[in-house]
Order: sequence, then structure tokens, then C-alpha cells
Amino acid sequence: MSADEDRRVKQLEAGNREAARMWRAWRTIHQMVQDRGYTLAEEEVNMSLREFKDKHCSNDGHVSKANMKFSAHPSDDMMRKYSTPPTLREPNPPAPDIGPIWCEFLEADNVGIKHLRTFAQYLSANNFHTGILITSVNITPSALKIIPAVANETRIETFNEQDLLVNITHHELVPKHVLLSKEEKSALLERYRLKDTQLPRIQMTDPVARYMGLRRGQVVKIIRKSETAGRYASYRLCV
Amino acid sequence: MASSQMPKSILKKKTAYPATASSQAKADRDRETAVYHANILKTRKETELDVLLSTETLLDYPTSSQPADNPSVEDATTLKALLKPFQPSDYDALIIERNIENRCGFALCPKPNRKDTSGQKFRFIGQSGRAENFKIVHTAELEKWCSEACARRALYIRVQLSESPAWEREAVESRVKIDLLDEPKSVEMTVAEDLQRLNLNDNAFQHNQQGRADLAMERGDQGFTARNGLVDVKILERNVQRQPEAPSSNEGELSGQFSNMHLALEGHTPSFDTRNKIGHDGDDEMMDWKM
Repeated sequence: MSADEDRRVKQLEAGNREAARMWRAWRTIHQMVQDRGYTLAEEEVNMSLREFKDKHCSNDGHVSKANMKFSAHPSDDMMRKYSTPPTLREPNPPAPDIGPIWCEFLEADNVGIKHLRTFAQYLSANNFHTGILITSVNITPSALKIIPAVANETRIETFNEQDLLVNITHHELVPKHVLLSKEEKSALLERYRLKDTQLPRIQMTDPVARYMGLRRGQVVKIIRKSETAGRYASYRLCV
Repeated sequence: MASSQMPKSILKKKTAYPATASSQAKADRDRETAVYHANILKTRKETELDVLLSTETLLDYPTSSQPADNPSVEDATTLKALLKPFQPSDYDALIIERNIENRCGFALCPKPNRKDTSGQKFRFIGQSGRAENFKIVHTAELEKWCSEACARRALYIRVQLSESPAWEREAVESRVKIDLLDEPKSVEMTVAEDLQRLNLNDNAFQHNQQGRADLAMERGDQGFTARNGLVDVKILERNVQRQPEAPSSNEGELSGQFSNMHLALEGHTPSFDTRNKIGHDGDDEMMDWKM
């Protein structure tokens, strides 16, 4: 085998490995978006590695992240979950604070203020309510400060490719988390005569909370297996 | 018989709790405290946003293509103004952000930063043959700048920045002026600067300002938190009514003073009730808090 051919084989192998990595991240992000309640076609979510390679890899096996992006719209179920129930004082509550989502893989060695600023501008220009940016490197701390600065226009979430290689919610030690709607939350608080601050808490930076895109004040129902009771449900308030 | 007399209750008398008047006062005080802390947080948030926006502006500097050793006057003045609320860590973040944009870390330099193509992690740098002149430096450290001169210029600014965050700086500290290693060298600027310097010495207003700043420093003025603090501190001059009197040089008094001068704290000699103390000393270890 000549040195030239050897190099080509090695390159192809590295490309394959990279493609497999990206495919796994791609699959997880789709599952995440679907689990949150956005509508996605099944074939998009369950894309096989071969299909992924056909779509996003160039001839030499290199993954091009430039067209690894997609959008999704919230389903009716999700709209209902995020809606505010009408009360006596406010018979016409505001529309649910949810809208189309945009996911994008970013190909850059360093992610700085400029990248996030362009991303935020793209989101607000195209009326995306939420944006998910997936990077291969850590974002600089000053760039992360952009997120709260543009929070009233658009909601930005960032993930690292490395964290998306496996879907953590499929792990057997991670119990099932179910988001409660506002109506369900008030029913829960009334049932147990609690204030919401008296519930146990979950942090917004918790991996599962990040996966579900929890917001401050939302309550999740956590359903665990229990040896004595079969199933055990607990509730946590996102802080 | 005392049958007509009501038996005295042994229970504690009920006090009206919460007392309406005092609870109102308490609510007011609580509100004041909450507003005070909210204000601190607000200023802090505003300052942080300010720093972020300044960083974004300085990313695209300089606006003209003048070299770093002779920057344009406007750029230099805006840079000085924008860098005021920065801490050294914010300044480091600015350098990193500029490098991501392939610019030299010094905000007034139009050149791109140096790129090391060899892929080495560390580099030797040094001028002459002596061993102590040589240093091993991380390549990333070298790639921050376009040249050594720019590194000097950028770090010259960094050491002038205050370590304390802008929202809790003292009044004096926040008026610190930042100098550049290479100030703009255009003719009008030098003249203008000379004029300004001339003004500085003559102007009574400037002098007054300086005096006020010194006074604030002497009083231990604590910046925003103290100026708008919860405790209302008023400084009053002590009004001495009696006639001034020269210190006496009585022999006996003086010798008495000498004997316990080593005990004096800023002129005051504390006196303990020594007799009492000795009497109790050996008695009871458990009672030693009783003086």
C-alpha cells in the first residue's frame, strides 16, 4: 500500500468517526425537540447513519455542518401545556409564551460574541421564539452574557456536541420527567395546600432541565420506580 | 372576704401582636431594605451590560487604519472612556474576543494577530546568548498580539484598570484616568493636550474637585453603597466651648503617667477593677465570664 493510499484511508476513517459522532448529536437534538412537544416527522427523528451520511457528508467523508440546521413548530398539545388558564380577574389571558424553534450546528474553532450576536439577529429577524445553538467548543464567558441581554427578544439555549452524543433521558437511572401545565400546577398546589416555593427544587442548569428547556417557575412531575409502591411521583419546582 | 376581687391570672398578658403602629414601621423598613438591595443589583446589572456593549464596540476597533503607535484621536479618547468600568478580567475577555475575530489584542491596532503555523505548544523567545534572556512561552500567549510592542501597549492599559468591580468602586477610584503607552501624535492633539494640562494646574474648579476627592478618601467614603446606604451617617463638627488650656507639667501627675504609659491606647489608659478581679480569679472557672 502506498503512502498516499494509506493517508486516504486514514482520512476516510477519521471522517467516518466524525460522521458517526455528528449523527448521534443530530439524533439526540431531534429527540429533544420532539420530546419538548414540537412537531417533527418520524423519518427526521429516526434517520439512519447511512441517510445522514448521504445528506450531510461530502465525498471525502467530511461532515459539513453548514446545512445541519432545522426548524420546528410547537404542536397543539404543547401550546395547551404552555397556555395560561383564564381567571375571573383576567378572562383573556396572554397567548402561550412559545413559538417556532430553530436549531443550528455551528462550525467554528472559537465561539465568541460575534457568533452569538449573529445567531440572535437571525432568530429575531425570522421570528423564531427559541434558538438552540450546538457548538463543538465551549463558548467564551463574555459571549454567554449576550443571552440574557437579548432575552426579551428571543430565547437562546446552547449545547455542546459532546453532551448530545447520548440521550441522557434514555438512561435507566434517569427517571421520567413530565412538565406540568399551569393549570395542573395550580391544581397540585391547591391539592397539597402549598405555595410553590415549598416544593422541592430543580435547577435550571440541571441536565434534564436543560434537555426539557425548563423555565423558572415551572413544575415537573418526576416518576420513579419504587420497590414498595410500584411508582412514586414527586414534584419539583424549577428555579 | 375578698370574693368580689377577681382572681389574678397567672397567664402572660396578651400584647397586641403585631402592634399596628410598629408593624407599619417595620413594613416600611423592610421595604426600604428591599429597595436598597434591588438598587444595588440594578446598578450592577447596568454596569455589566455596559461592559458587554463596550466590549462589542471595541471588537471592531480601530475605526481608522492608523498604526497602533499613532492611533487616531477619536479612537483613543473613546477607548479611554469605554474602558473605565472594566476590570482586568473584562479586559482579558476583550482580548480573547478580538483574537477570535483575528485581530490583534490591543484595541487600537488594525493588524491581525500573529498565527503560529508550526503547531507547537510552546515557543522559545529571547534576544541574546545569555540564558536568563530566554523564556519558554505558551504559543497561545504569543498569538494574542501582532507584535511585542502591541503586547506592551495592551498590558500597559491592563495594569491601570481597577481590580474592584465598577459598581462598588469608591468615588475617587471611578475618576481614574487611563493613559496609553503611545498617545496619538497629531499636531493639534499635542497642542490641545498641552492646553488641557495648562488648565489643570490653573483651574480652581479642578483644584476643588481634587480636594473633594481627597476629603472623600480621608473619610473612607465607600462609593455607591455608602452614599445611598441604609444607615444615615451625618458628620458633625465637635463644638468645644471651654477655653483651651495648656497641658500641665505637674511632677507627680507626670510620673503617674509614665508608670502606665505602656498601657495607653491612643492616649487613654483603660482602668480595670483589679482588686475585684484578683479576688475572684482562682475561684471558679465557670464564672470567668462575670468579670
